[in-house]
Amino acid sequence: MKELKILYLYPDILELYGDFGNIQILKYRLEKRGIKAIIEQYSIGDNTPNFNNYDLVFAGGGADQEQGILADDLIKYKDNIKDAINNGVFFLLICGAYQLFGKYYKSADGNIVPGLEVFDYYTEAINDRKKRCIGNIIIETSLNGKTSKIIGFENHGGQTFNISNPFGKVLFGNGNKFGDTEEGYFQKNVIATYLHGPLLSKNPELTDYIIKHCLDRKYDEDITLEPLDDTFEELCRNQLLNKFLNNN
Amino acid sequence: MKNFFIILAMKILNIALKILGKQGGNFLGKIAFDWNSQIFRYFKINCPIIAVTATNGKTMTNNAIGYVFETAGKKVISNKEGNNMETGILSTLLKHCSLTGKIKADYLVFEVDEGYVPVVFKDLKLDTLIVLDFFRDQLDRNGEVETLILKINEFLKTFNGNLILNSDDPNVSRLGKANPDNENIYYFSVEPYQYATKNMKEAGEGKFCPFCNTRLEYEYYQYSHIGKFECPNCHYGNNEIYKLATNIDLKNRCFEVNGIKYTTKFNSIYNIYNFVAVISCASLYNIDTKIIQKALSNFVLNNGRLEELEIKGIPTIINLAKNPTGSNVSLRILNEDDDEKELLFVLNDNLADGHDVSWIWDIDFSSLNNVSRIITSGTRAYDIAIRIKTSGFDAKKIEPYLNLHEAVKHLYKTDIKKYVIANYTSLQPTRTEILKLK
Repeated sequence: MKELKILYLYPDILELYGDFGNIQILKYRLEKRGIKAIIEQYSIGDNTPNFNNYDLVFAGGGADQEQGILADDLIKYKDNIKDAINNGVFFLLICGAYQLFGKYYKSADGNIVPGLEVFDYYTEAINDRKKRCIGNIIIETSLNGKTSKIIGFENHGGQTFNISNPFGKVLFGNGNKFGDTEEGYFQKNVIATYLHGPLLSKNPELTDYIIKHCLDRKYDEDITLEPLDDTFEELCRNQLLNKFLNNN
Repeated sequence: MKNFFIILAMKILNIALKILGKQGGNFLGKIAFDWNSQIFRYFKINCPIIAVTATNGKTMTNNAIGYVFETAGKKVISNKEGNNMETGILSTLLKHCSLTGKIKADYLVFEVDEGYVPVVFKDLKLDTLIVLDFFRDQLDRNGEVETLILKINEFLKTFNGNLILNSDDPNVSRLGKANPDNENIYYFSVEPYQYATKNMKEAGEGKFCPFCNTRLEYEYYQYSHIGKFECPNCHYGNNEIYKLATNIDLKNRCFEVNGIKYTTKFNSIYNIYNFVAVISCASLYNIDTKIIQKALSNFVLNNGRLEELEIKGIPTIINLAKNPTGSNVSLRILNEDDDEKELLFVLNDNLADGHDVSWIWDIDFSSLNNVSRIITSGTRAYDIAIRIKTSGFDAKKIEPYLNLHEAVKHLYKTDIKKYVIANYTSLQPTRTEILKLK
């Protein structure tokens, strides 16, 4: 039986916007295809993980105060994380985790929280604490050469700059900054994005892109995933794409 | 003079609204507040003002306190319908005051939105504040829970009235330290009930000590992050308890406080917390125990908060759930019932609900007890259908309908017991649609 090993980072802290759903959806789509999902968790105080032992690493968004507590912890694994990314381990990073993997996060009062510096982007909060990019968002991306619309919900005060390769083009909503045309950061084995929803709940194509990447790498193959019954997902996508893009 | 005219105008407007058959809601207060934001100062109130705030349970607790006082023969003015922002409270005052701003009552009892406590009680003298709980709720509208707590904490720094606090919520209990000079702090707590757990079962807040950032340790969790906790480092949480509920028996809908048995119409753990808060409050105002017992045994709230109905002879339970904890406690009640049942979940994403529906992924659908079919509806019927499917519930037994009328029609195709969970703006339309079948 094939299996994928998933590391879920700080499940008790980075769990503000239902991001745990992404793990449940991955597990669901793996198990429906007879692939075992092994999910391990890491949080402050646990044994040091080796990121190279996993096929997929996931981290979500958290409350500001708690996010500060874990930044100091995560930075200890900086070299190991960089190594795992270079080796092709897939990293799915949402919201707070997206920011933490950049150079730094500068808060509204000018305080700088150093990031992991795995990527060159950086994030700065707007001076007005009350102003945040909040709302439904739709972006367009390309997954293995195929154009795909991604639906989610953004809620962030931080504005992210210096993105070399965005996750997608914004069709509706804000993106990396207020009124931006680009959203997130993307490389073959990394998706870093502000999209909650949870992200994978309305985007089965994206979930399958991640699953295929991990299986192909692990089993050195070019797998065609068995299709699943996505009736609800398709109804939901049609409804929301229509509502937000065509105003119906 | 200005305030006199504002009140006169609002009185006339209120009569006009009544003739038109309109309720008014926040309307009168909104106009008056825009006219003069200092108008709260004009009211002459000679009785205690009691306020309830929380994320969940405000309406239930506010109404129960009012009912207890009324059972004791007191005259109570209250925002029973749940208009709980400054404009709603102002509307209630405007309807009940004389032209000179005099208010004749024995008690004013208000539920107040978490964010509006400092606004409303800047100019109204608050006698007692009850704080029940803080949960994540409509994050896209309200922001993080911490921001709300800090606002109330700031207000309490200069507050010397009675403060009735849930000792079992680390985010509420901390408010007892806001003003070290206030000697009128009263904590309430509840002993573990049958389904209390050693580990947190549902999404919750307040995992770290707000004073020293150490991870809190729990003796037990009742639901979400509500339970007996203590900080292993600074011992925060070790409070002297004013009222403790013991011998919780949800099946027979009763519990005890100080050895006295209270029977209620409700069977949920969170209502035990609400009612211990009510008992704490009534005790502070020397209401006779027998009267509290009598009032609680009769108290019901027919507005979709754990409302029990019979529709075409089919038992139906409707409950409002506007955030993860509200939904999880609703599912607890469902799971604690072994009968076969069908569930209708209605999810809207209107402005008052919050546009973000990610919170449904914090609902624990993983171990539904004897549920044979689930119908989903509301503007986000498909989102909730996906959520439930992913938890492992057979997709073939899930029926999504965007149209609420269709959903209710299909729900009552069978005569199996119904549980209905609806969020904020979907609750009354759902209730109306169901009552049409009665």
